[in-house]
Amino acid sequence: MEIRFEKVNFQYSGLTDTTHALKGVDLKIEGTGEFIAVVGHTGSGKSTLVQLMNGLLVPNSGVVNVFGFRLPAKRNQKINELRQEVGLVFQFPEYQLFEETVLKDIMFGPKNFKKTKVNAEERALEAAKLVGLDDNILKSSPFRISGGQMRRAAIAGILAMDPKVLVLDEPTRGLDPQGRREMMDLFKEIHEKTNKTIILITHDMDLVSEYAKRVIVLSDGLITFDGTKEELFEKEDFKDYHLSEPQTIKILKYLEEEIGLKFKEKYTYDSLLEYIVEGEHE
Amino acid sequence: MNNIVIGQYVPRDSWLHRLDPRYKLLALVFMLASLFVIPIRTEWPYLVTLGSLTLINLLLIATSKVPIMKVISGFRPVMFLLTFTFIIQIFYYQVGPNAKLVVPEIPLHFTWASLGAMILILAFYLLTKKYIKFKFIYFLIMVFGLFAVQHYMPESWGLIANYKAELYDEALIRSGFLVLRILNVIILTSLLTLTTMTTDLNYGIESLLKPLKLIRFPVDTLAMMLSLTLRYIPTLLEETNKIMKAQASRGVDFKEGKLKDKIMQMVSLLVPVFIISFKRAEDLSNAMEARGYVIGAKRTKIDEYKTKTPDIISLIVTSLILVLIIVGRIIL
Repeated sequence: MEIRFEKVNFQYSGLTDTTHALKGVDLKIEGTGEFIAVVGHTGSGKSTLVQLMNGLLVPNSGVVNVFGFRLPAKRNQKINELRQEVGLVFQFPEYQLFEETVLKDIMFGPKNFKKTKVNAEERALEAAKLVGLDDNILKSSPFRISGGQMRRAAIAGILAMDPKVLVLDEPTRGLDPQGRREMMDLFKEIHEKTNKTIILITHDMDLVSEYAKRVIVLSDGLITFDGTKEELFEKEDFKDYHLSEPQTIKILKYLEEEIGLKFKEKYTYDSLLEYIVEGEHE
Repeated sequence: MNNIVIGQYVPRDSWLHRLDPRYKLLALVFMLASLFVIPIRTEWPYLVTLGSLTLINLLLIATSKVPIMKVISGFRPVMFLLTFTFIIQIFYYQVGPNAKLVVPEIPLHFTWASLGAMILILAFYLLTKKYIKFKFIYFLIMVFGLFAVQHYMPESWGLIANYKAELYDEALIRSGFLVLRILNVIILTSLLTLTTMTTDLNYGIESLLKPLKLIRFPVDTLAMMLSLTLRYIPTLLEETNKIMKAQASRGVDFKEGKLKDKIMQMVSLLVPVFIISFKRAEDLSNAMEARGYVIGAKRTKIDEYKTKTPDIISLIVTSLILVLIIVGRIIL
């Protein structure tokens, strides 16, 4: 069970010109246990890549194979069922809320996939608990709760569909540092609890270094790097990707320069702190 | 997403494109009025007048450098209605005593059997039309089929009524006249939108409405509303597209579903789009106020239009055409 891209091309055609968003992308993503960060500059094809995964976009050439479901699909094949397998959370997902109460909105996804009402409610409550929304919020209107809670509700709406793979398009955009941390810890928790594959689009290299296991770098519609984050950050020609280094590496490099603490790659703040404390004792 | 074009402006370099929008609008009004002042009659002076107006319009298309297919595609939405009126007009127009038959009378039998066949044809058409590429031609064939079954099926199969299809030259000319007039109207109006940017069009409307200021009509506000609306159409389309994708990810299938599902689909789309547009409107009004916009205050323009010779000429020519036709109508 996996998501496989084979020589996938995708272009957006305008009136006068066409933009090649993806140029012959080959990719394989396991159905469970992966935590992937997709990074790249604006317009490098990240959003296109993830929209191809649940059939919102269909490749112009090449094949996307999602859990045995081929895209482009045959004529009378329903793409809709695929959307349940790959849960896609868009940028600013809070705008997709529309129901009377938060609970109803979370139930919307499972109900669309022909789950019974009771079943849908069960799942909605479960998802709400997972993202940390309490009961009195579930009963209120989704337009009367705070921005952070709205985003949680929207994400719960996707989680309630119980997708095999969770795809997040810049989920921390527009959040303050604390909200960002909480949000990311939430995804980490979901990942650890359910072993679901999580695919994260982000510009923030700190998030990549702290949370991701695997990194895919996109540039101009081509995959220029695909491997573990350690491989990426330790690469000699890391600068050629025009990505910034994560804070932890910057701090360690600075410390080596200033106080002669030996440089060693650390990717989370916890391990960085540990390393510094250790170094102090020696 | 930057490809969304409002209206159908085709950027080219032609005299029609360069024409001052104010004069272009006025000229359009004169031309449209001329088309409608010509009475529908079958005598030759009327036909010649309509013919020459059509010729002028074709010349306009040719000199505007707009691809002809763009103009023709403007016919598409009214094609159904036009054929319908044409057919009705041909058969049911009461002709004068001098009318001549074009083809011999065609006997038609309206029987129970032909009625059944007609219903079958209709059902077949409705079911198959989505698979056909040339829909309009297909439609015409089907219309022909409706009459063909009445002609060829024998009278004896449950006769309800016998009647004859009579094709008179007068009826034919009159229906043609009507269709040609409507086609001309479409050509003219699409030429306006094809050769004028929406902002220019807005400016043209604003200055033509200026006299209404005398009766305290808020022309400036109206113009601002118009331009803001035009400006935000692509933005809203983009937002709608995003919401549509987001809801599709939650299992909404916008392509099918029962009526009840369809309503839910629309709600799931409309509520977020409404909320986004209200938010945008609020942000925009704040931004405008922050830059000193006061409703009804006098505003200046970056681009001032200057009247040039082609503008004057087009105005004179079109008004002359209108006057001549009116005079002709009074004299004849």
